Amino acid sequence: MSKKIKVVPCSGMGKVFGLVAREAALKVVNELAPHAAETVCLAYIVTGDPEIREEMAGAPCVAIDGCPKLCAAKNIEMAGGVVKQEFRTVDIFKEYKGAKPGTATALTGEGWKMVDDLAGRVNSAVKELLEEDV
Amino acid sequence: MLGGILKIGVVSCSGEDCLGGTISRLATRQMIDEIRPEGTVTICLPLFLAGGAEERSFAESYPTIAVDGCAKACAKRATEKYSGKVSDALVVSDVIGKKTAESGPLSVRNLTAEHTAMVDQVAREIRIRFDKIVRASRQEGAGTTGDNCGCGGGCSC
Repeated sequence: MSKKIKVVPCSGMGKVFGLVAREAALKVVNELAPHAAETVCLAYIVTGDPEIREEMAGAPCVAIDGCPKLCAAKNIEMAGGVVKQEFRTVDIFKEYKGAKPGTATALTGEGWKMVDDLAGRVNSAVKELLEEDV
Repeated sequence: MLGGILKIGVVSCSGEDCLGGTISRLATRQMIDEIRPEGTVTICLPLFLAGGAEERSFAESYPTIAVDGCAKACAKRATEKYSGKVSDALVVSDVIGKKTAESGPLSVRNLTAEHTAMVDQVAREIRIRFDKIVRASRQEGAGTTGDNCGCGGGCSC
C-alpha cells in the first residue's frame, strides 16, 4: 500500500446531515484508522488549485455526503480523484426512524450514535480498499 | 433585501484538515444560530461546483463574508472564482494564530473551553464585518428605499 485512503465528507453547513458526515470522517481519520486514512479539506478541492489536483489525481477516496446533491463525490471526481465508495448520511438516517440527531451545530446522543455507526462502516470500507490494493 | 432585513451571506471553508476549519464552521454557525439569526444566510461551499446556477449566484444575491481557517483562503477564493466578489473576508489563523489554526482536525466532541473561546473570538470578528456591511448598506440606501433601515437585526426602526 503506497498511499492512505482519502475520506472526504461534505461537511454541509445547513443541516445536521453535513455535521454527521463530517464527524464520521473525523472519527475514522483521527481514531479508527489514522494510519490508513486521511482527510482533505473539501474546500481546498473545490478551489481546483494545481497542487490539490495533483494530490487528488487517481487517489482512492471514500466520499461521505449529507444529501442527494453529493457535493463531496462530485467535487472529488472533478478534481481527478476516484470515488471508490460513497456513503450518504440520509441513508443512515432512514435506519434510525424517529431519532432526533441534533442540528448542524451540535449533535444529540442519538446523533453521535449515528456518527459512530457511519464511521464504523466507512472504516470497513477503508480496510476493504486497502486489501484490494495489496 | 428580504422582508426589510438585509441578508448577508457568511461562507465558511469548514476545512476538515485543521482546527481552523472547525473554528470557522462553528463561528459561522454561531452567527446563524445566535448572533444575527435573521440576517445571516449561508451556503455549502462545494455547491458552487456541484450545484446549479442558483447556487453560483449566491455572492451576487447577497453581500458575502468569507471565513477561512487558514491562509489558503479556500472559501474566499472559491467564492470569487465561481460565484462573485466577496464583500469582506476573515482568516481564522489571523485571529488565533497560525500554529494553533493549522493544528490537527478537531471533532466537536472534543471541544474544550479554550476552543469555545476561540469560536467566540472569531464570531465576534465576523459580527464586526457583518455590521460594517449593514452600516454601509444603510448609508447607500438612505433616502432611496425608505421601507427599511437595513440594520439586519429584524427590527422595524
